[in-house]
Parts: sequence; structure tokens; C-alpha cells
Amino acid sequence: MECEHRVDIKKRIKNLLFFHEPRVERPFILTEDSEAGKYDPGTDKGRAGPESKKNEDLLLKKVKKIKLTKKKESPADEEKSDISKQLSENLNVIEERFSVPLNGDLIIRKFDITVKDSVIPAFLVFFDGLVNTKVINDDILQPLMLLSNLDFKSDRDDVLTYIRSHILPHNQLKEARTHQEVIDMVFFGGCGIYIDSLDVAFVADVKDFPGRSVERPNNELVIRGPQEGFTECLRGNTALIRKRLMDQNLISEDITVGRRSKTPCSILYIRDIANSSLVAEVRRRLKSIETDHIMDAGELEQFIEDNPSLPAPQIIATERPDRVCAMLTEGRVAIIMHGSPFALVVPITNSDIIYSAEDQYLRFPYSNLLRVIRVLAVLMSLLLPGIFLAITNYHHEMIPTDLMLAILSDREKVPFPSVVEVFLMEISFELIREAGIRIPGPIGPTLGIIGALILGQAAVEANIVSPILIIIVAVTGLGSFAIPNFSAGFAFRILRFGFIILAALSGFLGITVGLVLMGLWMVNAKSFGVPFVSPVAPRTTGGFSDAVFKSPVWKQEKRPDFMNTKKKRKQAHISRGWVNRGASAQQSDSGNKNE
Amino acid sequence: MNKGKLLAIFIMLGAMCPVMTSCFDAREVDDMGFVIALGLDKGKTNALRMTLQIAKPMAGDNGGGGGKDDELPYAQFSVEAPAIYTGLNMINTFASKQISLTHIKVVVFSSELAREGLGPYLRAMIRGREFRLNMPIVVARSTAEEYLKSVDPKLVLNAAKFYELVYQSYRYTGLIPKVEFHDFYLAAESNCRNPVAILGNSGRFLTAEDFDIDNSTFREHGRSAPFEGDFLAGDIPGVGGARAENIGLAVFDGDRMVGELDGTDTIIHLLCTGDFVHSYWTVPDPLSEGYYVLIDVKQSRKPRHHVEIVDGDPVIHITLNLEGDLLSVQSAVNYEVGENSLTLESSVESLVKEQVSRFLDKTISEFKSDICGFGQHARKLFTTWAEWEAYQWKSKYKDATYTINVNFKIRRPGLILKSEPSISSEGRSDDR
Repeated sequence: MECEHRVDIKKRIKNLLFFHEPRVERPFILTEDSEAGKYDPGTDKGRAGPESKKNEDLLLKKVKKIKLTKKKESPADEEKSDISKQLSENLNVIEERFSVPLNGDLIIRKFDITVKDSVIPAFLVFFDGLVNTKVINDDILQPLMLLSNLDFKSDRDDVLTYIRSHILPHNQLKEARTHQEVIDMVFFGGCGIYIDSLDVAFVADVKDFPGRSVERPNNELVIRGPQEGFTECLRGNTALIRKRLMDQNLISEDITVGRRSKTPCSILYIRDIANSSLVAEVRRRLKSIETDHIMDAGELEQFIEDNPSLPAPQIIATERPDRVCAMLTEGRVAIIMHGSPFALVVPITNSDIIYSAEDQYLRFPYSNLLRVIRVLAVLMSLLLPGIFLAITNYHHEMIPTDLMLAILSDREKVPFPSVVEVFLMEISFELIREAGIRIPGPIGPTLGIIGALILGQAAVEANIVSPILIIIVAVTGLGSFAIPNFSAGFAFRILRFGFIILAALSGFLGITVGLVLMGLWMVNAKSFGVPFVSPVAPRTTGGFSDAVFKSPVWKQEKRPDFMNTKKKRKQAHISRGWVNRGASAQQSDSGNKNE
Repeated sequence: MNKGKLLAIFIMLGAMCPVMTSCFDAREVDDMGFVIALGLDKGKTNALRMTLQIAKPMAGDNGGGGGKDDELPYAQFSVEAPAIYTGLNMINTFASKQISLTHIKVVVFSSELAREGLGPYLRAMIRGREFRLNMPIVVARSTAEEYLKSVDPKLVLNAAKFYELVYQSYRYTGLIPKVEFHDFYLAAESNCRNPVAILGNSGRFLTAEDFDIDNSTFREHGRSAPFEGDFLAGDIPGVGGARAENIGLAVFDGDRMVGELDGTDTIIHLLCTGDFVHSYWTVPDPLSEGYYVLIDVKQSRKPRHHVEIVDGDPVIHITLNLEGDLLSVQSAVNYEVGENSLTLESSVESLVKEQVSRFLDKTISEFKSDICGFGQHARKLFTTWAEWEAYQWKSKYKDATYTINVNFKIRRPGLILKSEPSISSEGRSDDR
């Protein structure tokens, strides 16, 4: 027994110490030749299982609902129909599925349609509050109940066609062949119309969700540039993008996420720019999510990101439609989720997290100044307390004597080691920050003042911390606020504590080790198949027009190489035609003709 | 990852903890006493008397009182010990804070110690990682302890800054040499040049009534009155500020001090080594007896040295290129243009030539020490290092001869374009 145990331990140690052939994993890598597997909706349909396809089919139909109403249904769909020709059966099914006596906000409106001389009973089903009742009254109930006995001009046998093409003037009408379809639509603001003697139901899209109107983005403020932000409404959000990006190849694919919630999402991309395999990968990841409910894009982000343990975010969440549009034109893919005012954009590289939407709108010297400041902000937010600790504990010779004497006299009365001081201040800073977010609105700013001024001042006067440390922590805090990406700010805040510990343990050696480890971590990471630190490592050409520093807009001729887009060039070599005098002469010829 | 593996990793991490004990040498700033100046004298009871100046926490920035003007910004400790590090240990027995040398600004040797040879101390200092390689070396003519005691900075808050600034003054006065510890050490070990150190001393005079110029070297330079550089440290007739004076240089032969040179010679030394930046020169007016012309002199380019070996003896050719801006023409002679400016230029050239040759004579015949590093230009004449070592430059230097070539140009007349004599009721001053 013991022997066995020993063998086990031996094996374990051997396992730990000796080399193992790494398990061959095939992660998704975005390469240029991944264009080969172009997406074809037909083949994709074939590949996926029938069950998971169901929802998608439903949505695909939803996209094409207007088209669908015009053409004959395919026989495949007809087979699935479980809607009875008996209205009372349908009513029973619906009442059962919606737990009618319990659900107070479900409205079932029964009425009769008079077609010529016959009376056909029918009912509507919808949720109060999700729909626009005026549209139901005017465009559905009124024509069905009042106008239906006008003159018949076509063949009277086909009630279905007649109702669809003559009586229901509503613009978004589709036919459903299963109860499930109807129910899903009703939950998404539809109005189901069951008519006796028909084995299909009509679903009219009359949704009118309560929600915000378009407002200024709250978290990504810019001075120049559009001032619109996403809201919680999916269609509103896609509309905000379409409004800006008038490109016929902009695709907004619908997909649902969540087994029970069936939250509608849209995958947006420009078909002839974005790499097809990237789009397919996004689609694959979204489809593969097996969870009951999903509430926000923040949750979705965690389901589809590559490295859950990497501190830096690998997906950009933005509430600015203009930023999404700019990224779509670079060949990225955006995911918009119903109920979340944030769009997710993939893939990203590490430089994207220090960009702001404004960079592109400002003249390039200005945005480069901002970029330099942000890089400094990152460095300060990450390293400043660590460097302070390293210097005051290990490398006294590195600071000017005057400064050292000043620190010395400040620290003279402080009873704690400097690492305790740093932790005290950092933790109280994080406290102030967290409290500032949680506290009810009107008190918020006051708390900031209390925290920043009074606490700091009092701590210094009580000789608990030295004044220079207040400066360090304040500058560090400012640095972390200057990082435009909210998630990245978190990443640096967490890592900062790591660097503080490393610096307290072994000074600059520790910081160096930390930076090396962090670098390894970063170069190893990928965001949707794109190496996280490209275009620096792996080094690619053409990615540098907007990497750390920004070239003038007219010089950004190519899309980033690491996106492996279908079209590399986004503007002509000479994008400002007027600078070329020869060419302008030619142009002016044609201009003269016009005159 | 299974549980066992996780456990094993934790055990390994735990085992690695002792490796990370590097934090044992972490020291808080306020636990350290930072030495800003170190003085070494010959001891009464032991080989060395060490004097340490330890910076006090900055006065005047706590509580807003700051009425302690008379209080020195440092604490001075002295101890007698056989060697530097021994002394540090001994001082740690009565100084409350751990002594750190990382911010040391200057090392002062007494001339007595310097004349015996600094080798043992230099070697200790170059090996210790706490001594900064760029700190200046000062030789105090009396004792280092007294010199350090007389440092009472009036213009700056702390003594460290005083030391940082005061030894940079060669850039604008030329009256002290440019000395860095590392260079000093290399020169002492080298076989082609010799080091120099800043000459310092505490001033002789406490009040203006005591002033005299008995010790001035102006007669050596053939002048009737002392110019700014004609003093050795301690003899300058001046009061106020720190009593510690720095002027002139200490000449070394290897690691032993062999003599002193005054401020004027120090300017020449800087000119010959190429470290001269600029300074104000007082030049006797060549056209008007009893008046002076003041010129702001710069090096227009680095000096050119060319060394030959003729019959086994070195022959050194020096070319100095200088230019100057007129600061003051006391006599109102129009030196700005034409013939007059050429006269002034040639007079400066001959003056410099005279001073340089006097300086070189002194180093060759009196000190026999190549403090300007001409040997560095002689090395290329030998094909192998062994031949060069066999030549023994340092011992041949005493037989050296030299030629001097000085180019001096007046560049800018300052804000006055043409000097005009003043006119009084008796007419123009130059007609009188």
C-alpha cells in the first residue's frame, strides 16, 4: 500500500518536473488563407444539428419575413406545422403555454372576421406593454373586423392569401407554422393572430418596448464627434449603425443566445471586408453557448472571450455607434445584444484598449499627444507605486539627494513601513472609488471630496502616511482614470497590486520579473485568433499607421494586416487627389465640362 | 488540473519562498543616515581619522517654523580607525541610523595624507559599490575635518546641494579642475597621465579687516596686484558664505600629491586638457597702461596635442584655440574693430603663451608630473604596448620640451559697438 503510494508520489513528481509533450490544441488562428473556408449559409445549415438550428431558422426567417410573405413557403417548413385548424384547440394550447389565468399581462382578444357572408372566429395574443396598441387597433383589428366585408376581388377560397394580401395592412407580418414560433415572437413584442380553419398563424411585429431614447454615451465621452450612444433596444442599436455606415455589404445577422431567454443578438460585419472565417468563428462561438438566460453583453463577453484569466480585456465593449462603425470598416465584427447598451467588437489588440473614439476625429498631432499621455497613464497606473517602493526600499541611490532628503524627512514620523503605507492608501483609494459608484447620486461628488481631500489631508496630519505617498496614489489614480477602456482600467488596477508586492519583495528585480511575466502572458494571448500584441509581435507590416502613434488620416491607406481582411486597402495611395497637380489638371478638365 | 498537481504546485511555491528572501536587504529611507561628505585625515591614535557629514532631514519643511537659521543642515561625526569600512562600522555604534554612502557627494583628503599616497583608500573606494564614480576628490590644505566643518551653506537649504553645485564651478570660473573619482583613479593607475584634485581649505579670514595678500602668487605671475586666480585655497580675501574655499589644484604623481597650483594655473590646466568651458579673464590693456580689458573667454575648439619623441625625449606641440567676447574696456580704446582688435588678440595670445609655458615648466621641472595627459597622445608612436611600457613616459616627462601655439579671436563686443572716451568739461578724456 505504502509502496504504491510512493510510486504515485514518484509519478507525480516526475509529472511535475519532466517535459511533457504538450497536448495538441487547435485554437482558432486568424490567417490570411482562412478565406478558403468561405461561409455559405447552405452548408452551414447542413453542418449544425437540427435542434440548435431551430432557433436560427426562426431568426433567419425573421430577417426575411417580408420576403417570406411574398413567396411560397418551402415544403420543409410545412411539415413541422403543429397549429391546428380548430381555433379552440389553438386557443387551448396558447392558454396553456402562457399559463393564462396566472399571467396578468397577457392579452387574448377574441373577435370575428366577416369574410363576405361567412364569419370566421379569430383571436389575437400579445403582451400588454410590449406592443403598440394603437398599431394593433388601427392596422390589425380594424381591417379584420371592419374592412373584411368589403368587396372580394380575387378567388375567395384561399382565405389565407386573401387575408395576408388584402385585409391585413400591417407592414411586418409573417406566418408562423408552430406555436413555439408564435410564442417566441410574442415575447419579442409580436402579436399572434390565430384564425379559425387556418393551420398557420400570423405574427405581426408591433413591438414598442418601454426604454430609453437615444442619449449621449455616459462612459465614453468625447469632445469632438457624434454624441449618440446605444440604448437597450437591439433594433434601435442596429439602426444607429446603419444610419452611419451606409454600405450595402453591411450584414446584420440575427442569432439568439440563451436556451430559455432566447435573447436576440446581431452579428454585424461588412461582408466583403471582414474575414469570413472570423465571422464564422464568431457565429460558432455564439451558437455554442448553452445557458438558460443571458442578460447583458458583459456576460456574453465572458462566454466568448479567448483567455478568461488574462487581465486585459480581449473584446472591446463600446456604447458608441460611431466607434463600432469605424471598427467594422477595419474588418472587425460587432455583436449587439438585445437589452445591453454596449456593443462587443472583436478581435482587438492591446493598442485598442488605449484608443478613444475621438482619436480619429482629431488632427493627428493632437491625438498623438493624447496617445502619449495615455501610455504614460497606463505606466503610472501600473507601476508608479511599485517603483516608489522599489526606490525607497532598495535603490536609494536612484533619486536626487534633495528629493531623497525630502522623502526621508516626511517618512521620519510615519510609524509603518512604506509598503504598509502604500497598501493603506491604495486600498482606501479603491474604497473611495467603489463607494463613489455605489452611493446614491447626489451624495457621490461630496464623497469624492471627503475621500480625496479630507482623508488624505487627515492621514498626513496624523502621520499615518507621508505626503509624497498621497501624491503617488493620487497620480496613480488619475492615471487609471485616463485609460479610456473601463475593463483595461480594472486590469491595471489588479496588476498594480502585484507589482507593489513584487517591488516590496525585491525592488526593481521584482518589477522586471513582473514585466517579463506579464509580457509573456500578453504575447501568448489571442483575441479571436489575432495575437494580442500585434502588430508588434508578431510584427506585421501596415499595422503601424494606427498602432501606438497615429498617422494622418489620409495616410492610413491599409487596414491592419493582422485582421487579414478581404480588402487590404481602404483608400487610394494618393487619397487627397488635389495635391497631385497633374491629376488635378485632368480633373479640372472634366470639371469644366460639367460647368 | 487535478488536486494533486495543484497541491504540488503550492508546495513548490512554498519551497521557492526562501529564494525570494531578497527583501532582507530592503531598507526604508528613514532608517538610513546618508553621508554626503567624507573627510579622511591622518589619525592621532590610528591610521585614519574619518569625518562624516550626515544629512539631516530637510529643515524648515515641517510645521512652517523654520526659524533655525543657525542650525547646520548636517551632523558631523568623526572617528579614528585603521580603514574606511572599519570607521563606518565604528560610527554605526553611536549614530542611530545605518550609514549609507550611496549619496556621497565628495571625498576630502588632507594634504598630509595625500602626500603619503592615496592608493589604499582609492582602491577601497573603487571596490565599494556605494561610492559614486562621479564624485569629486578634494585635497584640503589643512585637515579634511576642518574643511568640512567650515562648510556652512548659505545659499542652499542642504549641504548636499552645496557640494553638487560648488564643484561644478569650473564650468564658469576655471579656477578649480574638473575631477571625478573614477577618472582620478584611472589616472593614478595609468602610465600616461597623472591625476589632479581640487584644492580646498577653510578660509583664513573671518572679517574684512584681516585681509592680506601675503600668500598670493601674483608675483610669480609677474603682476603688480593679484588677479582672480592668483590665490591658493584659503587665501582669498573674502568673507561670507561657506568658509570652505576651493581654488587651485593639487598635483599628483601616481597616487601621491606632489604640489599645489593656484587658480591661474588651473585655468591653463583646463585649457590644456580641453575641459575649459568659459571664464572671465583680466588682461592688461596693451595700449593703455594701468587699465584692464575684461574678456569672456571660451574654447572655440578642443586643444590639439601632437607629441614627438626626439632623441628619446618627448617634444610636445600644443595648439590652443580660444575666442572671447569683450566684457569691459576700461580705457575706452576702440578694441572692437581693425588694428586695435588685432593688437588685443596678439597681446592675449602672448599672455596665454607665457602662462602656458610657465605652467608647463612647473609641471615638467618642479612636479615632474604629466597632469595634462600628454602621454595619451604619445602612445600612438609605439607599435606595441610592451614598447610603450618600456619607454616609461612618466619618468621621461621631466625631460620634455614643448612648443605652444595659441589662436585667439575677439568675436563679440558685447552691447557696445564702439568704445568712446567720456567727455568732461576738460574735453575728451584721451586728449587730456
